[in-house]
Amino acid sequence: MSHHESVVVVGAGLAGMKASLMLAHAGKKVHLVETLPIIGGATIKNEESFPNLECSTCLVAPIQQEVLQSPDIETMTLSAVEKIEGDKGNFTVTVRKAARYVKIADCIGCGMCYEPCPVSVANEWEENLGERKAIYVPCAGSLPNVPAVDKEHCLKLSGKQECNACVEACMFGAVDLDDKDETVNIEAGAVIVATGSGMFDASSLPNLGYGKFPGVYTPFEFERLFASNGPTLGEITIRDTGKVPAKIAIIHCVGRKEQGYCSGVCCMYSFKFAHFLKKKLPEASVYNLHSDICVPDKSYQKFFDGVKGTHTEMLYNSSMEDLKVSSNGAGLKVVYLDEAGAEREIDVDMVILSVAMVPDEGALGLAEALGIERDARGFFKVLDEGIVSVESSREGIFIAGTAEGPKDSQSSVIQAEAAVGQVLAFLESCRPEAAEALAEDLKA
Amino acid sequence: MQGASLKAVDGIKGVIRDFLRKALESEAADAVLVPVRTPAKDSYAWILTNDPALLDEAGPLAPTMPVQGAKALKSLTRKGQGTARVIAVMRPCEVRAAVELSKLNQVHLDNIILLSYDCIGAVPLQDYVGEPAGSEERFDSMLEARKTEESAVKPVCGICVDFSLVDSDIHLGLIGLAGESALLIPNSEKGGALLEAMGIACEEDISGWMQAVSGLKAEREDKRSKALAETGASLQGFDGLHAAFADCVGCHNCQSACPICYCRQCYFDSEVARRDPAALLDTAIARGGIAFPGDRVMFHTGRMAHMSLSCVSCGQCSDACPVSIPVADIFSYMADLTQATFEYAAGRDDGEPLPLRQYREDEVEKVHEIVKGAEEEEVAHE
Amino acid sequence: MKAKIGIYVCECGPNIGETIDIPRVLETIPALEGYEDVELVPKSFGLLCSPAGKEYLAKEITDNGFTHLVVAACSPRDHNSTFIGVCKEAGLNPYLYKIINIREHCGWIIHDKEAATDKAIQYIRSGISRVLYQSELFERQLEITPDVLVIGGGIAGMEAALSLASHDRKVYLAEKTGELGGKAARFASLLPRQGRGADVIREKIKAVEENEHIRVHLNTELESSIGFLGNFEVVLAGNGDDEKTDLKVGAIIIATGYRMSDPGSFTGYEYADTDEVYSSLEIERMNGGEGIALRSGAKPASVALIHCVGRQEKGYCSRICCNYMMKIAGYFKKQSGATKVTEFFFDMCLPHKADQEFFDHSVGLGIDFKRVKEIGLSGTSVEFAETGGGKQKMDFDMVVLASAMEPSEDTEALAGLLEIDLDERGFFKEAHQTTDPVATSIDGIFVVGASQGPRGVSDSMLLAQATAGRIRCQLKPGGKIVPEVKVSEIMEAYCTGCRTCLEVCGYGAIYFDDQKGISIVNEAVCRGCGNCFGSCPSGALRTKHFTNKQLYREVTEALK
Repeated sequence: MSHHESVVVVGAGLAGMKASLMLAHAGKKVHLVETLPIIGGATIKNEESFPNLECSTCLVAPIQQEVLQSPDIETMTLSAVEKIEGDKGNFTVTVRKAARYVKIADCIGCGMCYEPCPVSVANEWEENLGERKAIYVPCAGSLPNVPAVDKEHCLKLSGKQECNACVEACMFGAVDLDDKDETVNIEAGAVIVATGSGMFDASSLPNLGYGKFPGVYTPFEFERLFASNGPTLGEITIRDTGKVPAKIAIIHCVGRKEQGYCSGVCCMYSFKFAHFLKKKLPEASVYNLHSDICVPDKSYQKFFDGVKGTHTEMLYNSSMEDLKVSSNGAGLKVVYLDEAGAEREIDVDMVILSVAMVPDEGALGLAEALGIERDARGFFKVLDEGIVSVESSREGIFIAGTAEGPKDSQSSVIQAEAAVGQVLAFLESCRPEAAEALAEDLKA
Repeated sequence: MQGASLKAVDGIKGVIRDFLRKALESEAADAVLVPVRTPAKDSYAWILTNDPALLDEAGPLAPTMPVQGAKALKSLTRKGQGTARVIAVMRPCEVRAAVELSKLNQVHLDNIILLSYDCIGAVPLQDYVGEPAGSEERFDSMLEARKTEESAVKPVCGICVDFSLVDSDIHLGLIGLAGESALLIPNSEKGGALLEAMGIACEEDISGWMQAVSGLKAEREDKRSKALAETGASLQGFDGLHAAFADCVGCHNCQSACPICYCRQCYFDSEVARRDPAALLDTAIARGGIAFPGDRVMFHTGRMAHMSLSCVSCGQCSDACPVSIPVADIFSYMADLTQATFEYAAGRDDGEPLPLRQYREDEVEKVHEIVKGAEEEEVAHE
Repeated sequence: MKAKIGIYVCECGPNIGETIDIPRVLETIPALEGYEDVELVPKSFGLLCSPAGKEYLAKEITDNGFTHLVVAACSPRDHNSTFIGVCKEAGLNPYLYKIINIREHCGWIIHDKEAATDKAIQYIRSGISRVLYQSELFERQLEITPDVLVIGGGIAGMEAALSLASHDRKVYLAEKTGELGGKAARFASLLPRQGRGADVIREKIKAVEENEHIRVHLNTELESSIGFLGNFEVVLAGNGDDEKTDLKVGAIIIATGYRMSDPGSFTGYEYADTDEVYSSLEIERMNGGEGIALRSGAKPASVALIHCVGRQEKGYCSRICCNYMMKIAGYFKKQSGATKVTEFFFDMCLPHKADQEFFDHSVGLGIDFKRVKEIGLSGTSVEFAETGGGKQKMDFDMVVLASAMEPSEDTEALAGLLEIDLDERGFFKEAHQTTDPVATSIDGIFVVGASQGPRGVSDSMLLAQATAGRIRCQLKPGGKIVPEVKVSEIMEAYCTGCRTCLEVCGYGAIYFDDQKGISIVNEAVCRGCGNCFGSCPSGALRTKHFTNKQLYREVTEALK
C-alpha cells in the first residue's frame, strides 16, 4: 500500500477514535497508537456526560467496538511514537510497542487469570482509589477486553520470584510471559495527534489540602467514585474513613490563574457533580464556590439553571489565593472571601477541586519525537491560531481534541472531523497524479 | 364571548331547520349534512343535501344515533376537503370524534362548518328501534324540559361531561334557557364568518347559559368519576376482564360502529391474527382448555390500546353489542385513565397533537411515577 | 425444500463448556416438538470465534447445505459480526442466521448448571423458532453524486465550499443576498486575536470566486429538496427573478448563520432610535466606515459596553460576546486612547485557551471592567450594582449592547423544507450533541457555523471543515453507498393514510403518496429504527428482520 493510503492516529480517545473510523470509512488504512492497554480515552472514566447526562459508556462503547472490529484499523495499545522520518506524505513513523504478555487473538476476556495473581497494586486508571493485580484490565467493561501484564510488578517479569499462576489459569494459552517489546516502522502519508490532555496538579497549591486531607478529591477521582464500575461500585464514601459525605464543596477555577486560561468545561462538570451528588445523596448539601461562570454552549445554560439553587448553593469566591481548606477535626473547613471581600467559612466533609485541563504529560516527548511545536501553554500548536486550523507546525501532521487546548467533547469531535477532512485533502494533494496535474497547470 | 338569541318558530328543531334553510338560501353554505328521519319513521340516516325543502324531514336534534356523525363526515371527506362549504349538525361527541379523525387525516374539516348543540343525550338504538314513536315522545319532552332523563338515554350520556360547547365552529346553547329560546354562539373564525354572512349579529350576553352549563358539568363530573370508579373496580385483574367480556360473541360490531376505529382492516380480523391449529392446541394443553371464538379479551384490550387515547365516549359500541356488554362504560373508564396520563382529551382541541406522535422529555419519568403509584396501590391493597 | 438448521454451541473454553451442560443441550435439540418438518443439526465446538472455529463453521455450512444457522455463544456485541462474516464467506445469507447469547445471559449469571442449561435450551429454542421465519435480505449499492450544495455564503459556507471543491467534486454555493461574506465581511478584525482582520474574509471571497469548481448563485434560495445521502434533487430559485436551477447533489450543507437579537426588545434595555445606544454590529459598521461617532458626528469621550443582553430571556450564553466586546473596546481605544471605556459584565466567558491573554491585554489597554449583579439602562445612563456593592449610576456618551445571537430568520422555513429538526432554542439540531455535532437528523444534510449554535468566525470555520471531513468520507467521487437493509415497509392494503408514521419518523424516510392515499417508505433513507412500526395504528408497517411474526415466534417459544 502506498504511503498516501495510510494514516497514523496517535491517541485512542474520543477524537482519535472518531478520526480513525472516518479515515477507515474513507478507505484509508489507519494505525491507531495508544499508550494505555485499552482504548476510549478520558470519556470512559465518566459515568455520565454533560449536558444530557447520557451514559458515557453507552456513547463510547459502540465507537470502541467499531474501532476494534474494523479491518482497516490496526489498534496498537501500549504503544508510543518514538520518532518520525521522511517528508510530508512520505513519513516513516517508528512506534515502540510494549509487550502485553497476553495474545489478543487468543484471549476471550474471561478474566480467569486475575484471581490467582498474587500481586496487588494501586490501580492508576482508577486514580489509585482501588487495587488491581499485576495481570489486569483497568476496569470492568474495558475494551479491548484483554488483560495486560504489568512487568514492573509481575513477580516473574520483575525477576522477584518464579510465578506462573496466570499462565496456568488461562484455558486458551493466551498468556505469554515471553512476549517481547517490539519496534515497528509504519509508512504513512499523514499523522493525526489526538493525545488528549492532563489535569492540573492540585497538590501544587498547598492551601487546597489535596494530598493532605483524604476528603479532598480531583474531578477524575470523584468520577471514579461515582462510577458504578469504579472501585466503590458507585458508592460515594470518603477514602480512609468510609464516611458518606453530608456536605460537599466544589471549588471552581483551580489552577486557572497558574495556567493562564479558563478551561471552558470545569463549570459544567462541577454542575454535573452537583447533580450526581443529589442523585445519590439527596440529603447532602452541595456548594459550588465559583467565580466566572463559563457555560459557552447553547444547551449549557439550561443545565446550569436546572441545578442552580435546587442541587447546589452557589457561593461566590472572589479570590482563589485566599481560599483555604483545612481540617476542623471531624471534617474540613473551607475559608474564602465572598463577593464583598468578607471572609466566610463553611464546614464540609468533602471537597472536589475543579482543576484546569493542562497539556498531557507526554506532550513534550511527543512534540520532540514528531518535530512539532507547542504553544506557550504547552499544548500542540496549530498554524494560524487566530483564525482556524488543525495543521501542526509540520506539514502532514494534524492536531485534534484537547491535545490542542482545553475543550468539551463536542468541540473535540468537531476538530477530529475537521482534521480528517484536512488529512484527506492533504493526501489527495500528495498523489503523484495531483503533482503532475499541478505541474501541468503551472506550465499552462 | 357573545351569542345571538334565536326564538323558536316550531320548537327547537324548527330553529335549526330554519337556520340551515337560511344558510343555504343566502349561499353562506353550499350544503348541509344532517340526520333525517327514514321514510319508515323508525330510524335516522345522515343526508347530504342542498335542497331547503328536504330539510323539513331533517331531525337535526335526532333522538338516537344509528351512525356516529364523524363516520358520516369521513364518508364525505375521506378523499379530501372538496370545494363545497358544508354545515354538519352534530352532537358534541360526534364533533369530538371528527376532530380526532381530522388529526388522523381521515376527515378534512377545512370546508366543513361544525354545528354542535347542548346535547341532552341519545336514546339507545335498540330502545328506539323497538319503540320509535314512544322514544320520539320521550325525547321531545326531555328536549322541552332541557333536562336529561337518565333512564331514557345511553348510560354514557348520563355521565357525559362534554355535552355542551366543544371544538365546533358554531354552537347552539339550550341548557338553562327559558321557554323555547336558544343561543347561537360562534366558536371559531369560520363560524363567525358564516354568521356574519347570514347577517346574524352576535351581541347577546351568554353568561347565564355558561353558568348553567358549568353547574351541570360539575354535577356530571362527580357522577362520572363515581360511575367509572365502579366500572373500574369490576375490571380489576385478569379475572375481572374475563368476566366483563365473557359473553362476547366475537362479532366485532363494536369495532365497526366505533368512529375512531378507522383501520382499513382490523388487525384482529386479519390473517396475521389467526393462529395455527398446533399452536392453539399447545395453548389449550398449557391452560387446560381455551374457548372459541378465541382472543376475546385480547381483541377488546387490543382495541383499547389502539384507540382509547382518542375515545370520545359516544357509546356506539354498547349500542352495537348484540349481547349487551357495557363496552362503552369499560372503554370510557380506560379512556379517561389513558388520556389523563398524557394530559390529553380526545377531540378537545384541533391543535392538540396526538400523544403518541409526541416525544416529551419528562414522559419516561412520568411513566415511572405511574408504575410506582400502581405498585404502591397494589401493596396497600394487599 | 425442507429447512435444515445448523445449531452450533460454542464452548468458549470454560465459560460455556463448564457452566452449561452442552451434551444435554445437544441431546435435547433434535427431540424438540413442533419441528417435525425441519432437520435440526446440533453440534458443539471449542472456540468458534478462533480462526480454526471460523474455518470449521464455514465448512460445516457448505458441507451440510444448511438453510439456516443458529450460533449459541457469547454476546452479539462481541461476535455477531464475526459470524455474519462466516455466513457471507460460506454463501449463506446472513439474515438467515442468529446468534444466541448463552454466555452472558445463562452461563455467567446462573450458578446452578442445570438451571443455566435449561435457560440456554429455552433461548436456543426461541432462536431456532425465530430463524425459521427470517427471510433473506440483500444489500444494494447505490450510485452517488459527490457534488455538494452549500446554503449560505457567509464565512462558514465559503469555508465549507473551499474545503470540498475539487476537480472531481463540484460545489454549488447559494447565497440569499447579492454578495458573499456574510456579517463577518464588515468586521474590522476577527477573534480571538486582533492580528487579522476582514482581509481574511476578502481573501476567502476571492478564492471562492476564482475557484472553477465552485458555482456561486447569488440572490438565490433553496426552493425544494427531495432525496437522501448521495442523491438529493434540489431546486434553487432566484429571489429577484423567476430563474430556477435544478441540481443533483450528494449532500447539503446549511450555513445560514445567525442574527443579532434586537437589544432594545429586552427588559431594561428599551431605548429610542435617537438615543446614543448601539448594537455591536452597528459599531462594526461605523468602525469599518467613517469611524465610530455620535449622531452629532462627535467622537464619544465615554462609552459603556454591556454584556449578556437577552441572555436570561434566551436561556443561553452566546459564547463570543465577552470576546467581541473586548474587541470593540479595542476599536474605541484605537480611535482615541483617551476614550473612557467601561465594560459591564456578569460572568466573563473566556472558553478558548487564548482568551484569557486577550482579556489581560484589554485590561492593559485601560478598559475598566465592572462585574455587576444587576444593570439597567435609561438613555445613556447606566444604573448598576457591582457584585458585593450597592446601586450606582454612571452617565456615558455612548452605550453598546452585546445582545444574544439567535437563529437567522429563514431557519424555521428551511428546517421545514428539509424536514430536519430544530432544537428548543430554534437553532438547527445536531444528530448527537457530543458524538455527531455537524450532522442532522437526515443523513447527508449537515449544519455548520452559527446556524447550529452561537459561535464565532473561527469556530464556524472549524465546523465547516469538520463537515468537509464528513462528506469526504461518506461521498467519495465514483464511490457507492450501501443503505440499511433492515428497513421498514408499508403494506398498502392496510395503510389508512393517517400519516402518524410521517410524524414519528426521525429521518424523513416516509412520504405520503397523494394519489394512492397511503404512506411510502423511502428505503434508501430509512434506518430501520422501528418507530413507525411501533406507532402505526393500523399495523400497516413492518420492519424487515423484526416482523411481528419473527418476534412473536421468538417470544412464544421462549415462554413455552
